Amino acid sequence: MQDPVFSLLDVERSYELRGSGWFNRSSRQLKALDGVRLELQRGDTLALVGESGSGKSTLIRLMLGLEPASDGRVLYGQRDLAQLDAAERKRFACEVAFIYQNARGSMNPRMRIADILAEPIRLHGLCAEHDIPARVAALLDRVGLPAGLLQRFPGELSGGQVRRVAIARALAAEPEVIMADESVAGLDVSVQAQVLNLLRDLCRESGITLVFITHDLGVASYLCDKIAVLYLGRIVEQGPTDAILNTPRHPYTRALLQAFPRFDVPLKASLSGEIPSPVNLPQGCRFAGRCPQVQTACRATDPSLTALEADRQVACLFPVTAA
Amino acid sequence: MSEAINVAPLARGSQWKQRFLQPLLRQRSAMAGLVILAIYVVAAVCAPWLATHDPTAQDLMAALQGPSAAHWLGTDSYGQDLYSRLLYGAQLALIIGFASVALGLFVGVAVGLAAGLMGGRTEWVLMRIVDGLLAFPELILAMAFMAVLGLGTENVVYALALSFVGPFARMTRGDVLQVKNQPYIEAAKLMGVGTAAVIWRHVLPNVVSPILVQAGMRISIAILLESGLSFLGIGVVPPTPDWGLMIAEGRAFITMAPWISGVPGLALAILLVALNLLGDGLRDAFDPNTQKDAG
Repeated sequence: MQDPVFSLLDVERSYELRGSGWFNRSSRQLKALDGVRLELQRGDTLALVGESGSGKSTLIRLMLGLEPASDGRVLYGQRDLAQLDAAERKRFACEVAFIYQNARGSMNPRMRIADILAEPIRLHGLCAEHDIPARVAALLDRVGLPAGLLQRFPGELSGGQVRRVAIARALAAEPEVIMADESVAGLDVSVQAQVLNLLRDLCRESGITLVFITHDLGVASYLCDKIAVLYLGRIVEQGPTDAILNTPRHPYTRALLQAFPRFDVPLKASLSGEIPSPVNLPQGCRFAGRCPQVQTACRATDPSLTALEADRQVACLFPVTAA
Repeated sequence: MSEAINVAPLARGSQWKQRFLQPLLRQRSAMAGLVILAIYVVAAVCAPWLATHDPTAQDLMAALQGPSAAHWLGTDSYGQDLYSRLLYGAQLALIIGFASVALGLFVGVAVGLAAGLMGGRTEWVLMRIVDGLLAFPELILAMAFMAVLGLGTENVVYALALSFVGPFARMTRGDVLQVKNQPYIEAAKLMGVGTAAVIWRHVLPNVVSPILVQAGMRISIAILLESGLSFLGIGVVPPTPDWGLMIAEGRAFITMAPWISGVPGLALAILLVALNLLGDGLRDAFDPNTQKDAG
């Protein structure tokens, strides 16, 4: 077994909420992430699944080093992300690429597509200056966009085109790890299929490690070999995609699956209520309030992520048995 | 591939036209302002050849003469040729106007960038200094600095530049605060772009256009302030051909020789109107708040 690319060791991220008034200076802690343990091997494709507010984006920002962990450690290879020196940071920037959820916002509106794509190539000195135009054109071709877009500005492109430019930019530095935050959400179906196929081909062909945030289990199953389900800042279930989709062991995963529309079954809301506020976490299991099969023990004991089978972990006191 | 490379610069040129030239050409009043300004610039640049007399040559025998064949616009109380002084005065006014705005712009943008990007204590200190500068009206501030620095053309430039640092710094900081939280700044840092390159390539281009428009409008203020300082006797040193100075000199003879004050006054008024027309046109053409198809 080779070394993992990323390892997260009981990572926590909490934000301090200060009282707004002069007399109300009491501060409270908002735990966006609470003890996340995760290992990512080279070539893995992992989907982070969960409702809004479950901590998916925070987790990915921590893995990118955009935010420090309040507790625990994020290791890239063998090194702590918080302790990288300048050279290592540069290497990290080259090897790990991020595709923003807001693709248009992640591009300088005053730069042409050609310059946007050339920037990482030039920055990491990946090829000689006179080869850059050819390389940029090849990148654009790879994501299926016409070369005529090179002289355009991001504001002149459609949503789907901008997403694909964002992917092309992520590929420009020839990264080993790509992280994508909801990269297909809100695209129309045909464009979504194109983007998904593109990402899938990339992972298959170049052996890129992919971390993909989505709330769409269909997308997750198409693209990724592994799924980690997050709920309120903690991984409640993780394992291979097929196993999780076929035999969900955590009631939350099962509820998510039931909420997924199908042709043959009428849709019913399987989860009642909103995700609770992470400011005042209830005692015991954090899902207890919404769990359809909650028991008294759930309200007292906080279950930890335990291995059920090989590669399969669940944080539930009474995991759902395979139906 | 070679075709694509050949086509690219052409496309770039035509797009430049489309983005910058056409919106400006559409502003009729701005074009009128530009034409008048161009005449002034030509007159200023060609002053040595256009002038009929030495602008500082005194000829007391010919003092206080009205317009004639020898002195096209008449002479002042020292017998200096007003036409020649007017041309050299245009030179001085434009140089002081552009130089002081350029200097104020440079320092102001630097201060604004530093304050906006560094934040924290640095920002607090810098912005309190800027508040201090902004607390005084520009003319009062420039007068105070002229009193400290002493008379002279360069000192006028420094004093005016200083009075412009405040507005430019404040404006830059505001825009930088808005831009620095944009995802593309974070994305650039994440890609490993160095701090200087982030500022130069990603922050500056996104804050610069409203600032340049503002700079264009400030040039007319600078020229007006400079003439005001000279009129009050704390600007350039007297023999220098300066419009403010000329107006002040003509004041005593306003009833018997109104052209002494009238000619430079009119020249100043026309230049200021032209600059304001141009500034308004620039703002309408490029300010994102008024631009219709903001990209």
